[in-house]
Amino acid sequence: MKIAVWGDELTAWVTAGALAETGNDIAFVSNSQIDDPITLMGSSIRNEPGLRDLICNEVEHKRLRFVQTRTALGIQAHILSMNPNQFDEAHDIVEQLVRKAEGPLLIINQSHFGFGATDRLQALLNRRKKQIVVYFAENISEGEALDRIRNPKSLILGSDDEAATRTLEALFKPFSAQLENRFVMTPREAEFTKLAIIGMLALRIGYTNELANLGEQLGVDIDVIRRGMGADPRIGRHHLSPGCGFGGNNFPQTLKSLARLLSENNESTLMQTVLQENENQKELPFRKLWQHYKADLHERKIAIWGASFKPGSASLDAAPSLRVIDAIVAQQAEVRVHDPEAHENVHHIYHDNPYVKIINGKYDALKNVDALVLLTEWPEYWSPDFELVRKQMKSPVIVDGRNIYDRDLIESRGFTYYGIGR
Amino acid sequence: MALTDRKAWKNLREHAVKTGNLHLSELFGEDGDRFEAFNLQHDNLLFDYSKQRINHETIELLCKLARECDLKGWIEKLFSGDAINNSENRAALHAALRLPADSELIVDSENIVSGIHDTLGRMQQIVERIHAGQWRGFSGRPVDTIVNIGVGGSDLGPFMASKALSDARVPGARKLEIIFVSTMDGSQIAQRLDSLDPETTLFIISSKSFTTIDTLSNANTALQWLRQASGAEDEVLYRRHFIGISADNERMADWGIPPNSRLALWDWIGGRYSMWSAIGLPIALEIGMDGFRQMLAGAHAMDRHFREERFEKNLPVMLAMIGIWNINFLNIRAHAILPYDGRLSHLPAYLEQLEMESNGKSVSRDGKDIDYNTCPILWGEVGPNAQHAFYQLLHQGTEPVMCDFVVPARRYHESGNPELQQQHKLTLANCLAQSRILALGDTVINEDNTTPFFKRYSGNQPCTTLMLDEVTAYSFGQLIALYEHKVFVQSVIWNINPFDQWGVELGKQVATTLIDPLSQTSPQADFDSSTNGLLKSILGHQEQDS
Repeated sequence: MKIAVWGDELTAWVTAGALAETGNDIAFVSNSQIDDPITLMGSSIRNEPGLRDLICNEVEHKRLRFVQTRTALGIQAHILSMNPNQFDEAHDIVEQLVRKAEGPLLIINQSHFGFGATDRLQALLNRRKKQIVVYFAENISEGEALDRIRNPKSLILGSDDEAATRTLEALFKPFSAQLENRFVMTPREAEFTKLAIIGMLALRIGYTNELANLGEQLGVDIDVIRRGMGADPRIGRHHLSPGCGFGGNNFPQTLKSLARLLSENNESTLMQTVLQENENQKELPFRKLWQHYKADLHERKIAIWGASFKPGSASLDAAPSLRVIDAIVAQQAEVRVHDPEAHENVHHIYHDNPYVKIINGKYDALKNVDALVLLTEWPEYWSPDFELVRKQMKSPVIVDGRNIYDRDLIESRGFTYYGIGR
Repeated sequence: MALTDRKAWKNLREHAVKTGNLHLSELFGEDGDRFEAFNLQHDNLLFDYSKQRINHETIELLCKLARECDLKGWIEKLFSGDAINNSENRAALHAALRLPADSELIVDSENIVSGIHDTLGRMQQIVERIHAGQWRGFSGRPVDTIVNIGVGGSDLGPFMASKALSDARVPGARKLEIIFVSTMDGSQIAQRLDSLDPETTLFIISSKSFTTIDTLSNANTALQWLRQASGAEDEVLYRRHFIGISADNERMADWGIPPNSRLALWDWIGGRYSMWSAIGLPIALEIGMDGFRQMLAGAHAMDRHFREERFEKNLPVMLAMIGIWNINFLNIRAHAILPYDGRLSHLPAYLEQLEMESNGKSVSRDGKDIDYNTCPILWGEVGPNAQHAFYQLLHQGTEPVMCDFVVPARRYHESGNPELQQQHKLTLANCLAQSRILALGDTVINEDNTTPFFKRYSGNQPCTTLMLDEVTAYSFGQLIALYEHKVFVQSVIWNINPFDQWGVELGKQVATTLIDPLSQTSPQADFDSSTNGLLKSILGHQEQDS
């Protein structure tokens, strides 16, 4: 099938790659003069595991090519994989398609424009000419995006047109090996379901963090508590790890639109509170450091392990590291940042701040520091040579923003340890 | 030479005998173009004194008096840093606080401008850090509440200006709550502390001497509150929850404020002239340092105008000399300040201190009793509200009162809110109507003689209108500097020192003699019988408690 893909989000690239791989003819809309895929992808996307090779391979086999808007407007099937705040541009694209198209159009919206957006786009089209917009609730997650699209466990389609539903199902058929559930509902219901899922996950995280902070004051280790909670089949284990807050692009943006819906229609502040508390949570590692050093970090040196908002991603979008780095450098203290993937992005944001140093080796980052703050649980940080760690540091203080270390073990090696909720 | 012996003074007396009985309606009748003749403008600040009981000769004679009193020489002394506060042997250099960074003013062989701008730079760092959410309390959470503890000049100026310029609040200030606490009895602070979060509250302790008992007792209450709530070490609390602003570095240090949290004042700044210095920190927190510097720029423009312009065209000089005419020759002893803008609600309280603490004196610079009136009783209120309170007295009472109407020509013009724009129009209409009636009486609506007396308005209350284009940091700076210099000009004519305040000292001293008797169950007090009686009664009430 010939499909135009609009957008430059990770989702757009992953969807384009996966669909090209299964034999579709993908026209990736890019109005840039550049046609080198690696340059076009940008640093945070090209570091997504497996994606660079996939895209290069599909380009080489000409199943994926880059086209200008003008060319894309002549195609019948479209996927909108755009940033949540690009609704106006999506609206504009659909208007142009309508002007140009005489006959049928199939537009698959998989952007999180919020509740009701798909219907608003549909309103621009002529249903009698079989011009249809459907909503596809993608479930892509940075760091494991390809796996998520190739092997989904469930599919949620928002479509009120049978023919469109059948086309969509055929398109995603190659990815149904592990599929357990498939739901077809109206676009509004599907959009709402997506919001509801994201909201539920955020509530779990937020709730766990609240418990962790309370447990800390009451002298209870959250790690024990969450294992007990997770064993209850009504609750399950996932999304119960306390930490220094979630970041990323789509997740918080979708939550914001849910929070808006809730407060506008229901005067409910539940989600706003979750988001606000998440922002506070991001500063928690800083506060531990602050209290340890009696509210004076002036001219200290602090190492940070992990800057990206989660392991497997180079992205710093809404990452806790930004809040922690800003807070530390505001005290005129030096930050020595190490991250397996995100150095380029850290450099982009902090290149003219003399207090921020990007260090290539994770042990080098520890040289002469007053504390190590771990913010992203990259695999390479889980089991370092603690002997070497201690030797490098001026003061053996560890703030573990992801609770990946065993407190007793760390303390027995002579470190002062601060976790979240422990 | 004694003031009353001066030639111009005598001429003014004669002139007052000749013209003093003329009604303002007659003056307007004689000259249809009075406004043209009797208004002055500086930048966008309009000063209309056509509703004053003056004519061209009055102005001429007043300017002569100013020259005979060597006003020009005194203005130079003021700006060049002479020790014109003779009872304390100090200069009064508040105008220097407004000098641009590249200027120079040598006092005691030191260029004070660089020190002033160093302090502004340090204020800027503090303001930016707080606005960025990076001033952290003991727990590491960012500070979101500022409590300014100060009294008199350390309270009235910043309080008034913060309120006046609230529309110019910068984005960084939107999450900040700024609170002013001044009263000695602790009622303000006690009430506020209940609802504040110790983790995120920062106290500014403002006291020029850092001995002001009102301020220090409030500061100690704040410290105690933090200690109890935080469990943090004192060192941490002092470092993260207090900023000290004072001319006495040592006393700030003794109290516990660490060096980085101290902002300097100087001996040559009077308390009531100090909102341009670090004392203005709450203002800068509200409007940002750019806004604060705009306010300084407005005041500096007025300084230059005052120093350079000839008397007849000089706003502060004319504002002051018309006051002299009213007080000393028309025998008017009350002065009402009437802002027609709710944001200026604290201007009257500010001017009460500025004028009455500066010029409420009866001893000349050379230590002699004086035989003419000085500063009148000054009070005021937001005009439209005062219309429902004391305007009755202004219109139909027996006291002659001079009135200053202060009003911005434009407000809400960018709000896109037609209701609010209409409210401003209504306010302007009331402002113009009231000064018109006060000056001209009911002649403005041609009442005939059949109107009963209780409905008559005799008018002839002299009024000034100060009209700002709009209330901005710049125009507000101009306005306050205008009043400061007006006060100075009057002090020169009256030959008094406006920069000391010995009249507030004795009370503090006598209060300390009453602390002990108040703590005893049976007073060995030997005061006047009234005080003895009151003491006895207080102790009687306290016994009931114990």
